[in-house]
Amino acid sequence: MTEYTQKIREIAKKLLSEGKVDVVIGFREGTVPLMAEPCLVSDPAGVDQLVFNSFCGVNLANYLPRRKDRIAVVAKGCDSRNMAQHIAENQINRDQLVIIGAPCTRMMDRRKVAAAVDGKDITSVAEADGRLTVTGPGFEKVLDRESVLQDNCAICVHVNPVLSDEMLADPLPEQEKDRYTDIREVEAMTPGERYAHFEELLSGCIRCYACRNACPLCYCPTCFVDESKPQWVGKSIDPTDTLTFHFLRAFHCAGRCTDCGACERACPVGINVRQFTKKLEKDCKELFDWEAGMSPDVRPPLDTFRPDDPGKFIK
Amino acid sequence: MGIDPGRLHFSWISSAEATKFVDVATKVIEEVKALGPADRFVKEKAQVA
Amino acid sequence: MRFLKITKNDWARGVEGLKDSFRVFGPVLERSHFNFRPLEKGQEPDFSFRNTRLSPKSTVYPQSEILFTYTLDKSRPDHHVHKEPPRDETPRAILGIRPCDAKAFGLVKLNFDTPEYKDPYWLSAYEATTLVGLACDEPCSACFCTSAGSGPFDEAGLDVLLKDEGDHYLVKVLTEKGGKLVSAAGWAGEASGAEKAFVDGAAVAAEKITSFVSADKLAGKVTNQLHNAKFWDDVAFSCINCGTCTFLCPTCWCFDIQDEVAGTDGVRMKNWDSCMFPLFTLHGTGHNPRGQKTDRVRQRFMHKLKYFVDRYDKGIMCVGCGRCVQHCPVNIDIRRVCEIMNEYEPEPETCPA
Ligand code: SF4
Ligand code: SF4
Ligand code: SF4
Ligand code: SF4
Repeated sequence: MTEYTQKIREIAKKLLSEGKVDVVIGFREGTVPLMAEPCLVSDPAGVDQLVFNSFCGVNLANYLPRRKDRIAVVAKGCDSRNMAQHIAENQINRDQLVIIGAPCTRMMDRRKVAAAVDGKDITSVAEADGRLTVTGPGFEKVLDRESVLQDNCAICVHVNPVLSDEMLADPLPEQEKDRYTDIREVEAMTPGERYAHFEELLSGCIRCYACRNACPLCYCPTCFVDESKPQWVGKSIDPTDTLTFHFLRAFHCAGRCTDCGACERACPVGINVRQFTKKLEKDCKELFDWEAGMSPDVRPPLDTFRPDDPGKFIK
Repeated sequence: MGIDPGRLHFSWISSAEATKFVDVATKVIEEVKALGPADRFVKEKAQVA
Repeated sequence: MRFLKITKNDWARGVEGLKDSFRVFGPVLERSHFNFRPLEKGQEPDFSFRNTRLSPKSTVYPQSEILFTYTLDKSRPDHHVHKEPPRDETPRAILGIRPCDAKAFGLVKLNFDTPEYKDPYWLSAYEATTLVGLACDEPCSACFCTSAGSGPFDEAGLDVLLKDEGDHYLVKVLTEKGGKLVSAAGWAGEASGAEKAFVDGAAVAAEKITSFVSADKLAGKVTNQLHNAKFWDDVAFSCINCGTCTFLCPTCWCFDIQDEVAGTDGVRMKNWDSCMFPLFTLHGTGHNPRGQKTDRVRQRFMHKLKYFVDRYDKGIMCVGCGRCVQHCPVNIDIRRVCEIMNEYEPEPETCPA
């Protein structure tokens, strides 16, 4: 990963000093282990703060909408798909962007790492050869990288950026994977069981909206949960309102969600919010043979009508 | 989502098909009534502290 | 000051006994993390936690709370009358609260209990509550309580302080309320000389704190200069304006009042709110005085680290629990921001030549 860091700095420096872009959006070293902070650099002298490691799970496409300047941005596979999606939805212009593509070796989940050491205090981590060495007061543990990947990264089939102007490395092999085992379990439930499942899933939700705000798709100027004239959804932690928020948000993301995992990663109380979006992602794949963000030139399926759209549900 | 399939109907009705609309609406109402009151996605009063 | 020594069996028996006269809250493992929840009969507080994900503020200040209900239906005799829901006045006990979180109640009280205004909901709940603290023998690396006006053995907000000694607890009874709880639990067994264990324990634990903030120069800064400083855009860039930091924080107190009406019946309730939400300051006219992300991020830090400092002269509005540091999804770190603010020197005024 250090090669990525090196290359990002070189590219950023070149682009900024040659005046090709106004700003570079990337990551800087976190202040706590297992974290990295998105940052914006506009001065070539500032490029040395940029880093790339296995904790850069934030989706940087989230920082693009409504920007007017020329931006170089670091993009993993999923980020680049969300960028393509943004371009298709006119949230950013392709010519504003210099995409620094990072073939992604999959991000690690800080909460899984914490759980793997029984919640003990972690003071440093070091990564080498597919292993993560975690240290804290009185312990050191070596973890297999594969065992602590973010759930979505473990099943990701597009680690390589779909759009890029610069590449940090040669493309990596993509895996073949059955992505939907968990969703099929939910599909097999009766409606009653399913409702109970979702209620249980959301039981600890504090309506902080970190999931929504971490999502690049959620760029609406006023989210439906924040509308007051009329007020569509109550604002307390009433379970029906909370469910309504999550379902509606998922439907708004249907056909656009890239399963980047930013929502789930952001949730402070560990709710598997991808359970909602992923069902729709699966449906889009199966019904429309559609994967979001693979091209900036095609409108998503729920945005377009085709005479051969599946219509069996219409009676 | 956990909604009873019997409570959700989709139909394609042209604005010229008034009788079809009446038929479908009547049928839907009867079917939903037969299922009794819904107990999911119903909020009478906020369930909070 | 009384000191007791109780075995873990005495403890468990006492906790059960307390449930007859108290609503007992304690840390409980939920999914991957701990939270304070009411304990059922037979359920013990789980003290294997380091700190809870959410602060215990919800034990006296629920995220959503109904203030009153009403009906507009004129055929009902009580129409247009505000009816308060029955409130549970049973004394509450919070077992195992960390000293920093207890201290936070004291800071929040400054806001909810002023000479002019008293928040009856918060105050009655707070007054009914006895805080039984658990000293932190192994503070986490993101905790900076000792430089935020608290500490792993801080007694400031507590009624009782426990120190875990392996097979038993040493109990320090700090207030009259604490004394009552201890008798209700049937804990006796004076432990003379335990004082030293607490003093030594405090010193050892304080040594283990590795993270600090400097807040000494904040009071001396000129508010407007700090407000207009250039660093805010960089500080705020990554923020996604979620409510994580404020909802997890033991010292954040802001709420919003909402009416919900179904037909002719309505409830008025109080919900936690967050200065990080654009809606927080949105006016009825559509104007938003804090319309940009930077405005909101600045507000959070200025409130905690400057306005509060100036207004109450009680240090910063942060007890160093480390929750926001660890759980902000984009790693905005109050320690870093505090450092920037504390070290800030205004840019020299330059006149165009
Ligand atoms: S819904 Fe979640 S997984 Fe889908 S694009 Fe948004 S943040 Fe990514
Ligand atoms: S981030 Fe988690 S707690 Fe916050 S609104 Fe989303 S699901 Fe709920
Ligand atoms: S500082 Fe972090 S936790 Fe707070 S609103 Fe911003 S992104 Fe969310
Ligand atoms: S500001 Fe952060 S560290 Fe300080 S008390 Fe609040 S959550 Fe804890």
